[in-house]
Amino acid sequence: MAGALSTLKIIEVGEMVSAPYAAKLMADLGAEVIKVERPVVGDRARTRGPFPGDVPHPEKSGLFLYLNANKLGVTLDLAQPAGMELLEKLAADADVLIHNVAAADMDRIGFTFARMRKVNPRLVMTAITPYGLTGPRRDWRAEDLTLWCAGGICAINGGGMDHPEMPPLKTFGNQSGFQGGVHGAVATMGAVMAAMRDGEGQEVDVSILESLASQLELFFEYWPYMGLIATRLGRKPIQPLEAMQCKDGWIYLCCVEEHQWRGFVEVMGNPEWADEEIFNDRLKRADNWEALKIFLEEWVSQQTVLDLYRKVQAKRVPFAPVSTMGDLLNSEHLQARGFFVEIAHPVAGTFKYPGAPLKFGATPWEIRRPAPVLGQHNDEIYGQRLGLGAARLAEFKRTGVI
Amino acid sequence: MPKLPLDGIRVADFTWVWAGPYCTLQLAHMGADVVRIETRTRPCITRVIPPWPEGKPGGLNRSGYFNQYNQGKRSLSLNFKDPAAHEVALKLVAKSDVVVNNFAHGVMDKMGFGYEVLKKVKPDIIMITLSGYGDTGPYRDYIAYGPAQVPLSGLSALTGYKGWPPMHSGFSYADPNAGVHGAFALLAALFHRKKTGEGQYIDMSQWECAMGLLPEGILEYTFNGREPERIGNADPMMAPHGVFKCLDRPEKIMGLTVDQFVAIACNDDLDWSRLARAMGRAELVSDPKFATLQARKANEDELEALINAWTGTQRAADVADALQHAGVPAAVVADNKYLADEDPHLRERGYWVYKEHPEVGTRQHAGVPWKMSRTPTEVRAAAPLIGQHTDEVLIGLLGYTVEQVAALRAQGALE
Repeated sequence: MAGALSTLKIIEVGEMVSAPYAAKLMADLGAEVIKVERPVVGDRARTRGPFPGDVPHPEKSGLFLYLNANKLGVTLDLAQPAGMELLEKLAADADVLIHNVAAADMDRIGFTFARMRKVNPRLVMTAITPYGLTGPRRDWRAEDLTLWCAGGICAINGGGMDHPEMPPLKTFGNQSGFQGGVHGAVATMGAVMAAMRDGEGQEVDVSILESLASQLELFFEYWPYMGLIATRLGRKPIQPLEAMQCKDGWIYLCCVEEHQWRGFVEVMGNPEWADEEIFNDRLKRADNWEALKIFLEEWVSQQTVLDLYRKVQAKRVPFAPVSTMGDLLNSEHLQARGFFVEIAHPVAGTFKYPGAPLKFGATPWEIRRPAPVLGQHNDEIYGQRLGLGAARLAEFKRTGVI
Repeated sequence: MPKLPLDGIRVADFTWVWAGPYCTLQLAHMGADVVRIETRTRPCITRVIPPWPEGKPGGLNRSGYFNQYNQGKRSLSLNFKDPAAHEVALKLVAKSDVVVNNFAHGVMDKMGFGYEVLKKVKPDIIMITLSGYGDTGPYRDYIAYGPAQVPLSGLSALTGYKGWPPMHSGFSYADPNAGVHGAFALLAALFHRKKTGEGQYIDMSQWECAMGLLPEGILEYTFNGREPERIGNADPMMAPHGVFKCLDRPEKIMGLTVDQFVAIACNDDLDWSRLARAMGRAELVSDPKFATLQARKANEDELEALINAWTGTQRAADVADALQHAGVPAAVVADNKYLADEDPHLRERGYWVYKEHPEVGTRQHAGVPWKMSRTPTEVRAAAPLIGQHTDEVLIGLLGYTVEQVAALRAQGALE
């Protein structure tokens, strides 16, 4: 059985996370993705690691290997006119061109939708950029940190009331890129559906900033509705909603509904202090958290994580472990679902990677090939598919076009 | 005017709280007719929690939380204690392309809306369940709440100041992440159905969906058998890389002082030299303590103290503007007021949405995070009042007569 997107052809001009993640989501459902990298250096994700044995190597970067499995890889210098012409030839046969070339660089090298549309009016061309292709900050530079901050998310995380001296805190990794990527994949698929219906493509301009500002839960609306600023220094309105240390690790306590709190109290063996009036609803538990915390910490510190997790979940209380990486790899639940997948790469070796984010009933999510080594499919794509002769290929290699 | 991308696609939306509504919001942006199936006896929790207009609580239609994530949808309000309500919902499914829910595993089956039942009334239906743990595996019946899913995913173990305990992301990140991935999956399934005529069921575990966001942490373990250290806002390959204290907001908000920060990320030596010059400290560029990435990482505390001393006397917005002018990646650490009132870029992009709502008036809401050049995508209406479209859906879409609707209402099947 073929994947849901097995008839879709995609060209990716992507670096780091955003556009590569969007194309990965589609590649894993069967789309053919040809990834275009800069000659010699390749995608910056090749420098980011982690690396097996901590030895940096462009073919062994975990971030790159994860994001680019299932893709074919070619090299191409878009700053040279001959490079842009080759990209036009690739785009002529594609449904989607997805990229994260900065707006300023698009201007500089003449990489425009108008140009690509001439060779393929059905083409959907998606740009995933930090600030979008319009507006006064379209040319602002960005990294994951600056975007996570600009989007309003950092400001609501940090040391909290107990530690107002600690600054806003970013979430681990490259979350801005992942969110730009998945929102970009959604918008791209919408435009693909419209192209199937109308026979005409279009340009999709995805702003990572806006993808993040869309996810502020209830925090954004505190200003337009109530004139309140949501900050990391705010107090939690209900408790317990905190991580606490057990004998062998951390668990996240989560009692939102009253029956959940009562279930937890039963698991604790109905201690006397739990009958105190100052703890008898979730708002009071928040108001008196300093006192409650002392009782809870003492009891929780005597427990083990998995045992407490199973006991409270049996009473429908939504605690969860603060999972370490080892916990995830060893989880009986994730093993039963077959979440982690092994990928064998000719240079990096064979390791386990995060697998399918969703399970489709009728069509597979599957790893068909490891990430390409730099320029691995140049001969196949430029030679066999585009029909470039050996002499032209040699010339392009000599001049650094590919 | 070209049609919207999902014009003609209908979504029977059984979702609540955040993950599910964020999923169907993406489809509504692209023109799908999203019909929420709601009950007054157990309304969506986001209808009954703050933020309230001017802080005055009350009613099922006034929360900014609900009104943000349900823009452009319709609401049908049923009472499932009456079997006739069940029949109405099935009729809606028969006229739908997609069914979305974010209940725990098995809840839709218990309600009489399992995939096998729905397939009988609509053979090519596409259904997704965005559950916490997925439909299989030993924990499939476990309960998942948004705040606990972030630590469960592994993100908390990786997030935190150096030497500190695990910390949170500050919001229930696994929820919108599941929602937007769910929207992608539904679009892929719609694409497949258009090619083959075949519908399908999609099982999503919010936990698994979130683990796909931390490959650097997971691969550190599978490659090298190591748990990564928490490093705060730092980056192993960039320095300086952090948030720096600026002047507090000049005005107090509700009697409180609000501090402000600027984020700065120097990607390489060139960025660093630009920053040092912008600080008026060109001599630092060649200072052996800061000249290379390795040196800056070794002396990062001292480096950050120098930058904090410079930023501490300035407004965050001025520092960000000056550094971007000099070519350095920087941004204000935006709070909700900055985003709403002060960010010129979002305003000029037309990101914000102002739709008239009968109970809260015209409020500022976040809009569509992308633009399409040919087919519009847009927020078409404010979030629905509960049951606002019950009659419209029953009569206009499902073919009930006015008399039948009156009878259903009299017997209590409609709320």
